[in-house]
Amino acid sequence: MFKDETKLDINYVPHRLPHRDSELRLLMEFFNSMQQFPGKMSQRVLVTGEVGTGKTVLSQRFGADMTREAGNHGTHLRYIHINCREYHGSFFLILQHAVSVFHPNFPKRGYSAEELLRILAQILEEENAYAILTLDEFDSLILREGSEAVYQLTRLQEVRQNKPQRLSLIFILRDISLIDKLDASTRSTLQSNIINLAKYSKQQLTDILNERVSIAFKPLAVPEETMNAIAELAFSENGNARFGIELLWRAGKYANAENLDTVNPECARKAVSSIIPATKRSDLAYLSLHEKLLLVGVARLFKESHKAQVSLAEAEQAYMVACEEFNTKPHSHTQLWKYLQNLSSIGIVKTEVSTAGPRGRSTLVYLPRIPANDLEKELETLLQKGEE
Amino acid sequence: MNIEDVFCSKVRMKILKVLAQLGELNVSEITRRLSINYETTAKHLEILEAEGILQHKRFGRIRLYRLDENSPKTRAIRTLLDVWKQSETI
Repeated sequence: MFKDETKLDINYVPHRLPHRDSELRLLMEFFNSMQQFPGKMSQRVLVTGEVGTGKTVLSQRFGADMTREAGNHGTHLRYIHINCREYHGSFFLILQHAVSVFHPNFPKRGYSAEELLRILAQILEEENAYAILTLDEFDSLILREGSEAVYQLTRLQEVRQNKPQRLSLIFILRDISLIDKLDASTRSTLQSNIINLAKYSKQQLTDILNERVSIAFKPLAVPEETMNAIAELAFSENGNARFGIELLWRAGKYANAENLDTVNPECARKAVSSIIPATKRSDLAYLSLHEKLLLVGVARLFKESHKAQVSLAEAEQAYMVACEEFNTKPHSHTQLWKYLQNLSSIGIVKTEVSTAGPRGRSTLVYLPRIPANDLEKELETLLQKGEE
Repeated sequence: MNIEDVFCSKVRMKILKVLAQLGELNVSEITRRLSINYETTAKHLEILEAEGILQHKRFGRIRLYRLDENSPKTRAIRTLLDVWKQSETI
């Protein structure tokens, strides 16, 4: 069935990005001066859009093209793409990863984030290098570190006056309103260049999927009706191309397992029922231990009660039981509330403040998209893995 | 320093081996990997650097040591270590 299934992998960056040509050109345009006059000017760009609108792949394609171009001009440019959520939004860990791109064995402790930032600047200076640092899932850095970290990053160049401008930044985030959480001066440094990626239409999704099919599957393996069905499903999942590509891969796997000649629409249906919508497994894997414990408690509550929403107090009780089960000391109520905000910002749960109760305000938790049963199973697997 | 003086130290040979293998390390990490104390490590690093075999880069408080690949002595040592390693795996 497959010619090369790695072309459907989440980390694969295609050479051509259908329906993102103009955004790619715009990104190139923003960085044009950096290309023509290296060191004269650094750049900051904000890329926003819903899940599966191509934010990550656009930046990575741009990074690869830009690095190649720079190499042709004899400029040493490094494109560094960091998923902030992978580092739990910690500024220190994010910078440490950036430094490790240049010095893989750089010590893991013994200095502050501020020092690390200076070290990064020193490395670029000494190696006569330039870097484009892309902070993907920037939301988690804002939520954890607030304005200070972002301010330090964006003002790095200003404390190095009369020196070449070596560090440019791309911030990727789903919800641009999160920028409002930053203080005014930090916000002003970010809001000049914004690229907003609109949701894909069904036809655009079909084009994207067709392109992937041509490089990942053997000829005629995926009939048009299956393509249409998958594009329709991806479109109904908020125009999420990533979801469509994952469905394509799963449907191919089902067809292979059943020894079919082609990937029929039934394979697509089986694939969709096996997938946790809108949430990659990696989203769950990146959660901290206590976020997983809270979420597994919430999933169990929904599974047992069949209710539309549960209260934070109920969620806390369920979390404590999960802590006991996995032999972990529970965190405080305030901490729990923060975890819930993070789970909500990722889109796994939805929270709402209710004022209807007799005892004032209380937080209600919803599980809008993921079947509780699937979520519980997935989290239990992850938690058990963590215990080994 | 004579060649026999440089190579007579087990610690110095271990430092050369670990840096040839891992590229660059800070003093504490070399100390940890070789299970020796900090002062001893620092002293031997100094000797190897004075011989032009190692070089270091300073980042604030951190010093990262690596083999000086431009030095003919280092190239000879690398060859020696490679040959030795190959003969061990045969």
